[in-house]
Amino acid sequence: MSRTTQFSQSVTVALSDIQLQTALDRGTTRGVNARIAAMVETTDADALRRQARLAREHALNHLPDLLEQLERNVIANGGHVLWARDAAELNQVILDLCQKHGVRCVTKGKSMVTEESELNHALEAHGIEVTESDLGEYIIQLAGETPSHIVFPMLHKTKEATAQLLHDKLGMPMTDRPEEMTRFVRGVMRRKYLEADMGISGVNFAIAETGTIATVENEGNNRLSTSAPRVHVAVMGVEKVIATWEDYAILVQLLARSATGQRLSVYNNLMSGPRRPDEPDGPEVFYLIIMDNGRSHILGSEYTESLACIRCGACLNACPVYQNIGGHAYGWVYPGPIGSIISPLLLGPTHAPELPYASSLCGACQAACPVEINIPDMLLKLRRDLVQAGDATLAWRAGMRLWRQAMLSPALYRSGGWLASLATQMLANAEGKIESLPPPLKAWTDSRDFPAFAKQPFRERLKQRRRSQARPGVSG
Amino acid sequence: MSSAREDILGRLRRALAQQPPFPNQPRASYLPVTRLSPDEDLKARFIAECERVKGIVHRAPDEAAARDALRDLLAGRNVRRVILWDEAHIPLSGIATLLQALGIARIQGDNAEVATADVGITGADWAIAATGTLVLSSGPGKPRMASLLPPMHIAVLTEDRIVPRLEDYIAAQRARQLGAFRRSSNITLITGSSRTSDIEMHPVFGVHGPLALYIILIENLSERR
Repeated sequence: MSRTTQFSQSVTVALSDIQLQTALDRGTTRGVNARIAAMVETTDADALRRQARLAREHALNHLPDLLEQLERNVIANGGHVLWARDAAELNQVILDLCQKHGVRCVTKGKSMVTEESELNHALEAHGIEVTESDLGEYIIQLAGETPSHIVFPMLHKTKEATAQLLHDKLGMPMTDRPEEMTRFVRGVMRRKYLEADMGISGVNFAIAETGTIATVENEGNNRLSTSAPRVHVAVMGVEKVIATWEDYAILVQLLARSATGQRLSVYNNLMSGPRRPDEPDGPEVFYLIIMDNGRSHILGSEYTESLACIRCGACLNACPVYQNIGGHAYGWVYPGPIGSIISPLLLGPTHAPELPYASSLCGACQAACPVEINIPDMLLKLRRDLVQAGDATLAWRAGMRLWRQAMLSPALYRSGGWLASLATQMLANAEGKIESLPPPLKAWTDSRDFPAFAKQPFRERLKQRRRSQARPGVSG
Repeated sequence: MSSAREDILGRLRRALAQQPPFPNQPRASYLPVTRLSPDEDLKARFIAECERVKGIVHRAPDEAAARDALRDLLAGRNVRRVILWDEAHIPLSGIATLLQALGIARIQGDNAEVATADVGITGADWAIAATGTLVLSSGPGKPRMASLLPPMHIAVLTEDRIVPRLEDYIAAQRARQLGAFRRSSNITLITGSSRTSDIEMHPVFGVHGPLALYIILIENLSERR
């Protein structure tokens, strides 16, 4: 089966899943409204986004130097720095650390990088118990699923389905109240934190000038995972480093406002190495693992700005495509508009070649992005790359050639428009919509109606309007 | 065979060899994120912001009133065991005496022991008015777990520690050569009670961190020791 059919099948399934549609509608609407309210009340949202963007551009311009500075400072703080070229090497490095430190139980704070490497499976295959500690991630793990959103991993699940899962797997009394479900999971997780030998966390920002790792969270699971176990392993992609604390201040605030609409997330955890000899608690050993996994191929290319992403998830909530199909249809770790760019870039252009087309190019993602990433522009470039690599059918190529010629000749364009208007008017129903076009255009009408062309073309309406405006005494 | 480190840094350097991907631009001045009026009452703003994020502030005109507030918080909840920072790091004297009078045990030891505490009592290095944030650093006599494991966290704070915005806290650290970020293995910025919105983006307070956050704010500094 080709990947194209796999993607369109996932989309078809998603569109007819009423539970998923309910969950997506509730979740993304709340997300969009919260972000807009939080950005509008700032000093100057556009100026702040520019500032955040410049902070990320500076970091990417100086990436290797900043990583070396980060490394020096982590070591000066008493920590260790390890490097991983790809996902497989990352898992091996962590497995080696587990063996070295006699680790049997691991709790994890949220980390997208370890989703890339499917670390949980790798550790479990070696008999190590891994527990996701973020509420959403934990429920996803219980269900044997994968996250469907960068910030809200279980966005695809309704509260009813969540209650059923906790009831079936852990014997929670049935309830429809998120408060009771949350309290129940808190009780379960408490024991895990105290048993764990190692805590693994992601990294939201790595501040080079002091060797500090910053994480952002609301639940406290990340603080517990990074403070209670005797070994803390933080995992980051190479692009996560930033230069200064001033950069941190702007980025962390725009992250919170864009992701959840908060002014600051509840816990901003700043970690500089392991516990000091005179400190009463905290991990005895600290490792920072820096992973490439394809990012160095993006740096310096025309897709470099995709590395500026701070993983807030705002573009997912804002995207009319994501709002309808959810995260799983995208087929890999990073869903939504930014995922449509990152996934083909990290996995190679043969991965899900339909992703760059899963967008109406409406620009809502770019407008929502706190670091002004021009997502629509990169989607177009990816489409161009795909066509140049031969990923286009003969019919598609012929059609585009025809379109090009029509667009270059006013006479051809006029007569083509007239023909299209005539044909579509004939096929349209009473509401002016066409429910079924002949093949190959049938693919379009399979999942939506096609509006008939207007009887009077825009050119003629404009001409008329100008004529009437030119007459004195008549306003347009 | 070259190391992963050399390989990765080499690839990144080659990627940037031609020219930087973005024009290098000066980034001297920073616009702060939160709106604050020049005559903003920082204490009032801090209290309002805390309450927005489910932190409860008890205003105490002086230390005696602060001790009363602490006593009420502890006595009203049948608290048996607490973990607390060394008193040198809490701007309120007489806590040990108060605990003794209430028959409350002070816990020390490993995480499993600390997990049995009903309340954690800490000071705070700084507070941020614009977001209702507490800044707590780790250090000798300042366990991280006091603000994390017990179901209730009480932070004692004096008014003079309130700065306007996160940017001002960072500027203050810059003026001190960022020493705090190297000295403490952990600094945590706490903004309200632990919460989640994972289930249908519906906010729920009290997840893995404390279920409740209380702040005792001592206002009249002239009476401090």
